[in-house]
Amino acid sequence: MSGYSFDTETARDRLSSELDRARRTLHVVLEDNAAKVGFGIIVLFGFLGLFGPYIAPHHPIEDTLQQGGSIMRLQEPSAKAPLGTTSFGKDVLSQFLAGARPTLIIGLFGGIGTGVLGFLVGLTSGYFGGRIDEFLMRLTDLTFALPFLPMALVILSFITPNIWVITAVLVVFLWKMPARVIRSEVMTVTERTFVKSARARGAGHMRTMFLHVAPNVLGIGFLYTAYAVGWSIVAGASLAFLGFGDPTTTSWGRMLQQVFRSGAIRVAWWWVLPPAIGIGAITTAVFLVGRAFEEIVNPDLQTEQE
Amino acid sequence: MSFRRFLIKRTLIAALLTLIAVSVIFGTLRLLPSDPFSGLVASGALTPEQVEQVRAMYGLDEPIHVQYLKYIQNLFTFQFGISLTQQRPVGEIIVPALVNTLVLLLPALVVTAIVSSLAGMYAGWNRGSWFEQSSIVVTTVFRAVPIFVTGIFFLIIFSYGLGWLPAFGMRSPMANPDGYVETFLSVDFLKHYILPFSATVLFYSGDFLMLARNSVVERKGSEFLMLHRAKGLSDMEQLGRAGRNSLLPLVTYFALRTGMLFQGVITLEVVFAWPGIGRALVQAILNQDYPTVQAAVFIMALAVIVMNLTADVAYAKLDPTVEAGDV
Repeated sequence: MSGYSFDTETARDRLSSELDRARRTLHVVLEDNAAKVGFGIIVLFGFLGLFGPYIAPHHPIEDTLQQGGSIMRLQEPSAKAPLGTTSFGKDVLSQFLAGARPTLIIGLFGGIGTGVLGFLVGLTSGYFGGRIDEFLMRLTDLTFALPFLPMALVILSFITPNIWVITAVLVVFLWKMPARVIRSEVMTVTERTFVKSARARGAGHMRTMFLHVAPNVLGIGFLYTAYAVGWSIVAGASLAFLGFGDPTTTSWGRMLQQVFRSGAIRVAWWWVLPPAIGIGAITTAVFLVGRAFEEIVNPDLQTEQE
Repeated sequence: MSFRRFLIKRTLIAALLTLIAVSVIFGTLRLLPSDPFSGLVASGALTPEQVEQVRAMYGLDEPIHVQYLKYIQNLFTFQFGISLTQQRPVGEIIVPALVNTLVLLLPALVVTAIVSSLAGMYAGWNRGSWFEQSSIVVTTVFRAVPIFVTGIFFLIIFSYGLGWLPAFGMRSPMANPDGYVETFLSVDFLKHYILPFSATVLFYSGDFLMLARNSVVERKGSEFLMLHRAKGLSDMEQLGRAGRNSLLPLVTYFALRTGMLFQGVITLEVVFAWPGIGRALVQAILNQDYPTVQAAVFIMALAVIVMNLTADVAYAKLDPTVEAGDV
């Protein structure tokens, strides 16, 4: 029965039609050349994140490479270590391969968490308006006022950082961005006739919110989720670079921190380039896909052409 | 609601936000499990009695609400207390650092706002041209890559690879300038300035370019431009009209960016060892120097709140279509 409440059957029904729409949108996005390149990088990065640790020839932290009885410190790329070694005698290639996973986890979960939380807050705030809106918006104002990176540094200096704590901290500070944008979009949608007629026909708040209003702002929601993935990767790498990352895992940000702190950055280009290019490539890829998507989602940009 | 009432309401909200923000900062810092002096007992450098004396000297032995009241009172009179690790007033540490950061960032932000906005308007006007496509891709790359990664690339290319520019700090170790004029107006300083300056300019170029480009694209179909075309204005003159019409979001965005600036470049200051407020903050956190941390975070929060207020007010003042009551 699909009545005027919000039941699982209608939800599943709408969800599959939304998935259809998403697939079509993806096709349009991928007609853009920059987005195509970006998408390729994201797929490659996903692969590294999932399988990187298994294809790494050595353990990134425990294995110390030796040659002729002595530790291979700061060796240039060679047959034994294709990307050289660190000043602690670790294999850079293995660290690079294993380091993709924490970056992927922080980016993916930080981004999705931010997107979902921001979407829900924005939807509630914009739909109900009044007191609820006032309260939620002052809350976002407050999170805007608290400087993100400094606060994150302070918090992580007394909580032992692990990857999930870092992800949670990112979500707590980043949700405000999508929330504000979604709220203003929702406010224009709620004014439109089809929402009012749905309410007039007796649809409950939940049903109106999620079936009539939400699909119209879903595009913007996805756009900001994509950007949030990018922001999370940047923030996670920045924290790791400043020495506030998870000390037990190898991530690209932490590799950069080690090469920088040890002073080896002056000579060991083979140790700097892999993580630096890795971080740069994945964040760029996310933003390139986001841009192409934005051209579709933002109707104001469709004045001519198409 | 009149503009005056709008202004008063906004200012009050900003003041309240500042109060809540500093309270959160205070609360967060007091959650820290230990203070820097307990370590001295463990290492045997001081007896527990001596530590009590030191704690009393810094007011750390008083009840938490007394500490809180004193803290609020001191902040609003810009008395940040004495640094726990450097034994000198926090103001002496923070103010020069703040100046160094501003000297680096404000010129960079102004340059990028002007140049990228103009480029963005031109790109939006010539939609679909190679200039539009390539400028978007290039600035997106610099916008997306974290600023410290760009900085690291610059370092290994221009400092360590080619040896053209110094990598560290704001002046060479031998230079010992006196006063601001001598510090900031020298070739030595300029050499240290180029890399972090360029990284900042490139990093912020993307947002201004896209914003300017999007708003020109939005204006392009509008009727007032058709009138200008019918009047016989040249392409560039039309773009001038459209560009002037797109300035509003850029002005607001500039204000918001200025507010977020200090926090945005913490990693950049660390990479180039620029003695600014971000680097001071990171060092203070590592040394558990609360008063300095408090002061630095407070300044960063205050900058955001004040610039947000400025952006709101500028928006209401500049855009005639905004009904102040809605804001």
